[in-house]
Amino acid sequence: MWLVFLKELKELLRDRKTLFFMIALPLLIFPLIFGGIAFMTKQAIEKAETKVLNYAVIGEQYAPDIYAGLQQPDKFSRVELAADADFAALIRDETVDFVVVIPENYSSDVLSAGQATIKLYLNDAGLNLVYKRVNEIVEQQGELFQRAAFNQLGLDENQQVALLEPIVLEKINTADSRENWGEKIGGMLPYLLFILCLQGAMAPATDIGAGEKERGTLETLLISPIERNKIVLGKFLTIGFAGTMTALITVASMALWGIVLSQGMALKFVADFMGQIGIIDFVLIFLMLVPVVSIFAAVLLSISIYAKSFKEAQSYMVPLVFLVIVPVVMALMPGVELKGGWAWVPLTNVALAMKELVKGTMDYFQLIAIFGSTMVIAGAALAFCVYWFKQEKVLFR
Amino acid sequence: MIKITQLAKKFAVENPKKLSEQEKKDPRLKGRFFHSVQDVSFSCAQGQVLGLLGPNGAGKTTTLRMLSTAIKPDAGSVEINNVDVLRNPIIARQKIGFLSGSTGLYGRLSGRENIAYFGQLHGMSPQAISSRIDELAELLDMHSFLDRRCENFSTGMKQKTAIARAVVHSPEVVILDEPTTGLDIMATQTVLDFIRRLKAQGTPVIFSTHHLDEVDELCDRVTVIDKGSSMFDGDIASFRALADGSLHKAFLTSIGQVPAAVVA
Repeated sequence: MWLVFLKELKELLRDRKTLFFMIALPLLIFPLIFGGIAFMTKQAIEKAETKVLNYAVIGEQYAPDIYAGLQQPDKFSRVELAADADFAALIRDETVDFVVVIPENYSSDVLSAGQATIKLYLNDAGLNLVYKRVNEIVEQQGELFQRAAFNQLGLDENQQVALLEPIVLEKINTADSRENWGEKIGGMLPYLLFILCLQGAMAPATDIGAGEKERGTLETLLISPIERNKIVLGKFLTIGFAGTMTALITVASMALWGIVLSQGMALKFVADFMGQIGIIDFVLIFLMLVPVVSIFAAVLLSISIYAKSFKEAQSYMVPLVFLVIVPVVMALMPGVELKGGWAWVPLTNVALAMKELVKGTMDYFQLIAIFGSTMVIAGAALAFCVYWFKQEKVLFR
Repeated sequence: MIKITQLAKKFAVENPKKLSEQEKKDPRLKGRFFHSVQDVSFSCAQGQVLGLLGPNGAGKTTTLRMLSTAIKPDAGSVEINNVDVLRNPIIARQKIGFLSGSTGLYGRLSGRENIAYFGQLHGMSPQAISSRIDELAELLDMHSFLDRRCENFSTGMKQKTAIARAVVHSPEVVILDEPTTGLDIMATQTVLDFIRRLKAQGTPVIFSTHHLDEVDELCDRVTVIDKGSSMFDGDIASFRALADGSLHKAFLTSIGQVPAAVVA
């Protein structure tokens, strides 16, 4: 068995294609993609912030203070427009970026004039910071008016605060930050791990089963004096090992790059969050992955050995990805918890348990049910694989 | 000495509608089963070479696969040096060296690693493997490419490696399924030389082929299979005698087709 395992592993490690998917892809490509996206987003926001916006203002005579606020040549540039122009059309053909329309009742004496509504015409689809930039000016002015009105009324500090917000509803979250973030991150973790395991196991599985058939090495292997179940176990271990390694390398690389890329605050947050999850929980997450990977490996090997060729094996394996995604997505749905029936649904229960472990709210007794049911399925899948490997109609199709 | 008696094998037909017209007409199709091999018997003594002949689809490969224990016969017996190999396939596999024309190698392993892997599977010690590989490499002139990866080998190199792999455990019987099909002249010669060498060593060799000149050159015995049954089993002289010396005619006579020349 170990003989087969070692030989398959040696072959696997010499295959550039497999290595690329197993190691290079998660280690370099993913961070590059994510980093690239982050970089581009940052660039776009910076551009939107510093861009000189063309604007038109109607009724500036009613609010000289706001008009004064817009007089910043490095930020805004004025375009003259008639009051009855078609603002939408002008914005569409990019003559102006926004139009401000100030009403007649605009006044610094809010107590007598009442609320003033300034209209801001803009194209708000896509990334732009027009509203934010105009609002800065308007809000500043509003606060000045507010203070003036308060002074006029002769209200003290306390009254002012109470008047602005008479009742405050304060939210005190009893979930600690680990539970809070665990819900978000922990839900994604199994999704990522499962898919990566499956993906990582797929390439060697095709090679080891259908590949042997296609190259004509299978028959020779079958008539060598080694029991069939040992051949199956050796191949099974190789596939499982490859799947686990892919998942671990990816997660490790993401953690590493996450720490490298995040700075200051975020770094501290990541470190704190990781620090709260105990070693035991990490080990449990890994241990739970073992029977899951076993199921994948056994199913993949069965498919692969049944297929006549590489191509056939690959087309059988694609639907498997969808089959795996469904139970994991179920774990992400609101209301699905690690209780009652859900604890017995294969894959979903493991996904839920991983989430609970990350959150730190694991009911450790549930582990028995989860490990138990997953192991039984994994065992059954492996037994089927061994049986399958002894069928002449499968081997010599 | 290898003795095969009344070997039979049937395969379940999964979808009778998928069978070709020709397959439907084949008398071996009985209900849900296709009786690929019905009654094949022959024997091959020490130092003899037996040529297995038959049209395509006659059941040659199935017969040889049964001999190699890759598939299990439904009836009949296979004895190698008076040991019933069907009862204990693992022991049988140690006695048999098997090679077919379509046998491949692990491309990402070197020639030496390919051979050594099967040596290990046969439970040989590392020293025994390395000395056996040296011996075979000398014999087959493989030293120049033994440690290179197989994926870049020429057909001849591949065939040499495959031969070495098949006999790394010094088998008592060697079975070859169309070993020269698809090979160029040089590679074919390698295979034929190899068979001759085995014969000289006294190892029985059974090989299937479509090339009657190979039979003429090497074989002591001939077995003809058609539609899953052995139609002829005897030495080369009596085979030749079937149709005054011509092997082609003898073959056609043995499967019950009167040669055209005779009709005329």
